[in-house]
Amino acid sequence: MMDPNQYCQPHEHAMSRRKMLGVIGGTAGFGSLLQPAVAEAIAKKEKQVCLIWLDGGMSQYESWHPLPDSQFAGPFRSIKTSVPGIHFSELMPHTAKIAHKISVIRTMATQDPNHSTGVPRMQRGDPLNRGVDYPYLGSAIAKLLGPADPALPPYIWIKPGNGGFIHHEAGFLGAKYGALALGDGRAPIHIHRPASISADADAARQALREKANERFTAYRGAAEIDAYETSYDMAQQLMARKDIFDDSGLAPRDRERYGQHPLGRHILRARGLLEAGVRFVKVSSHHWDTHGDNFNMSQRLVPQIDQPFAALVDDLDERGMLDDVLVIVMSEFGRSPVINSRLGRDHWPDCWSLALAGCGIKRGAVIGNTTADGAFVDDEGYDIGDLFHTIFTVLGINPRRAKYRHKGQKLAIANDECRAIKELML
Amino acid sequence: MQRPLAIAIMAFCCSALTAVSVSAGEPLSGAIDRLIADGADGPLAARSDDAEFLRRVTLDFVGHIPTADSVRAFLGDSSANKRSMLIDKLLAADTFAEQWANRLSVMMLERQDLGKVPDEDWLKYLHQSLQGAPRWNEMVRAMIAGSGKGEERPAMKFLGAGDQHRLTEDIGRLLLGMDLECARCHDHPSVDDWKQAHYWGLFAYVNQTKLSEPHAVDKQVYFVESLATEKVEFESVFVNGKEFTGPKLPDGEEVPIPKFEKGQEFERPAADGMPAVPKFRPRERLADDLTSKSNAYFVRNSVNRIWFLLMGRGLSHPLDQMHRENPPSHPALMDLLAEEFVAHEFDLKWLLREIASSESYQRSSRLPDGVKSVEPSSYRSALHRALTPEQLLHAILRASGNLAQVEAVKGNPAAGTQKFDQRGYFTGTNKDLPQSLDEIRAIFVQTFAQPAGVAEVDFSPGLNKSLFLMNDRLILHWLEPHGGNLVSQLGKENAAEAIAENLYLSVLSRFPDEAEQLEVAGYLQANTARRDAALGDLVWALLCSTEFRLNH
Repeated sequence: MMDPNQYCQPHEHAMSRRKMLGVIGGTAGFGSLLQPAVAEAIAKKEKQVCLIWLDGGMSQYESWHPLPDSQFAGPFRSIKTSVPGIHFSELMPHTAKIAHKISVIRTMATQDPNHSTGVPRMQRGDPLNRGVDYPYLGSAIAKLLGPADPALPPYIWIKPGNGGFIHHEAGFLGAKYGALALGDGRAPIHIHRPASISADADAARQALREKANERFTAYRGAAEIDAYETSYDMAQQLMARKDIFDDSGLAPRDRERYGQHPLGRHILRARGLLEAGVRFVKVSSHHWDTHGDNFNMSQRLVPQIDQPFAALVDDLDERGMLDDVLVIVMSEFGRSPVINSRLGRDHWPDCWSLALAGCGIKRGAVIGNTTADGAFVDDEGYDIGDLFHTIFTVLGINPRRAKYRHKGQKLAIANDECRAIKELML
Repeated sequence: MQRPLAIAIMAFCCSALTAVSVSAGEPLSGAIDRLIADGADGPLAARSDDAEFLRRVTLDFVGHIPTADSVRAFLGDSSANKRSMLIDKLLAADTFAEQWANRLSVMMLERQDLGKVPDEDWLKYLHQSLQGAPRWNEMVRAMIAGSGKGEERPAMKFLGAGDQHRLTEDIGRLLLGMDLECARCHDHPSVDDWKQAHYWGLFAYVNQTKLSEPHAVDKQVYFVESLATEKVEFESVFVNGKEFTGPKLPDGEEVPIPKFEKGQEFERPAADGMPAVPKFRPRERLADDLTSKSNAYFVRNSVNRIWFLLMGRGLSHPLDQMHRENPPSHPALMDLLAEEFVAHEFDLKWLLREIASSESYQRSSRLPDGVKSVEPSSYRSALHRALTPEQLLHAILRASGNLAQVEAVKGNPAAGTQKFDQRGYFTGTNKDLPQSLDEIRAIFVQTFAQPAGVAEVDFSPGLNKSLFLMNDRLILHWLEPHGGNLVSQLGKENAAEAIAENLYLSVLSRFPDEAEQLEVAGYLQANTARRDAALGDLVWALLCSTEFRLNH
């Protein structure tokens, strides 16, 4: 028979953390350090992730790593941040004020200069080739940690354009680990009960359906049939929570703070989903591929991430969530030092920057030494596999021990040749 | 290293051939029942009642649920051989060819949009092949051998766009029951029988095959084979040392790559922009070798998949895990089916008829009295199977009485020649309803099918499917009274008894029992002020019931 346990234990990591807390709480010696009530409160705090994906590649020179005196500088100044000695581009005034809450890596050195292969490669963590399609980060976390709230899908993706149930990111894990995608932040249309059916009428027809199912199940093995009933329960639970997809309750002040552009609205929507208990939220944004007119485009684009990212980190911090929610801002690569003839910057995987915050990531750290002009890594660069090791580690998943099981084969969840970035972690 | 393995597998495959065969005069269906009963670890479920059988066999053979009238007629028919007559009638129907074209297409392509052949041409080709007396080995042979010329063209769809590794994997999985994906890079880590050499032996049959440049005259692309001169080289990622293989089936002899005098390699020179045609064409050789009677892997995989399509579970299961560590649930039955399928020249309809005629197929899905559960692999009760997306659509349309209306639509008159905006339908920006069967089918496939490239074997009733059935505008539109549909028919009846009977016959293909009669009467009485809506609720509840969504 095929191994019935097709994957590595679904929620073993979350479970083991809870178990561990139980043990610590009840053991003499540690018992006095950790009150049961405190242990319970910690155990309830599920780790969550918000991945903000700037598709096309944001310029590090116009954001995280301004070098106004270098030969590759653009027209923008650098500004001081809340951390002495650290400067960001003047296009990031909001984020500069919260620099003490986040970390920046300035020496990402990755392998792929193409969008079409780079996007999947980065979002899969560039694992060693095992001849299978690895899951993207959101599907991987959905698999490894399961839903944080059983009534909500573990992986929601807020994207421009259309939404729906998007399976391909799940790779070999299988369709159910795919994303529920909210096109332009909106839920799929079928989450809404049409106006023609009142709540009472809906309840009445559901009761009829349930009774029919009870009669059918009475003479049959129940387990497989239960799955149908469960799917209606889940559908009804999600419909009951559809307020989390609804913009109307948002304070005008919040809309202002996050920005009245799609990325701002979508990151604000992400905040709501994280508060509601969604395990992994991806927000993606297009148009960062500035081969031409990089500086005008950056002037328009960078504020669109600056403002809502800073607002999100502040809000999570204020709500006491930042210690358990990991926020990542990244692209598939950075942009070239050399400014091309169209005043653009081209693709540059050799040395680029990204930012992280929360969930065991240091506050106020900037790591990585580059050459003075920022073009290359000076000593040690970090590959995407290193970032994945770091992400898994801060989420409480041991990237060396946790394995996927696929067709009887144990597969590493992250590139074996990489390691977690200690300098980033608390 | 390869020989002992091959011999071992040969021994495994043919283990019981001498021990089991059909006794003189015993039809295969009888032998099936005998072998299933022999393996049973407890009581067998009762025979299905006529309504259960009628619905099951109609779905399996023609992809429809029976009409209310045909349920009445079948239940009222007192002839002793009415079940076998029904099986024969369904197998001869044109709708059989249509349904099985769909099922086999989904099995072979897994809904991937492959290659250059339009779906309609491929389905039409399958449809034509399935009329008359289709022979499965010949159908598969055509799919592999096709170069795309003339009448052969639609069959080449299976070859896709010429991705040789996809083809190697699909041939292993779909035609030999071997999921060799892992064996591309090393011997399979958990299946001892599967070696890297198996993968590369298959690969060597197709590694000369590719799509041509467009033909100089007709501008079409064709599958061509380049000249094979060397064996294929491979190396395990775990073990150093290069290995070599020519074309080789898992249990077969390696095909030698012939050496020709220089200038003698080709049968035809290059012409019309097409490359020269070599004398040695391994893919054409594969088409013959793979589908030959002596290829036990192909034969056993074939009967296993056909058995699965009717019984809901392969004798070897999962279907692509046929190896010694995962033996069939009923080894002797597997041997017998394989032997008899060969003896009947791969006659697909013959095998379907024999399986469907067995008591094992015709058993009820209700558990035997006093039994709480049975192992699916015992076949002691009929297994529940999800309707395919196409079956579900047709069943909903027929049950709700909207089939004729939809079938009458040609294109979408509202949209003119514009293509229906399906994405917009799912996001709410498109407020129109799809009109034609093609448009509606595409919406059902998107909602209920597995994603492209995933085998439709296991089925999960997902959240989005239930949301669709609950809230889709089209479904709700079909439950409003119009055009003589079921709700409008029910609305014209006065007696609750007649309503309940018509409702249950139309939707669940059976008569209601007393409790169900009372429930319908009670619901209508409680909702006199919204009678049409209440009738819609009653139909909806049954359409969404597990009984309806399963072939049981």
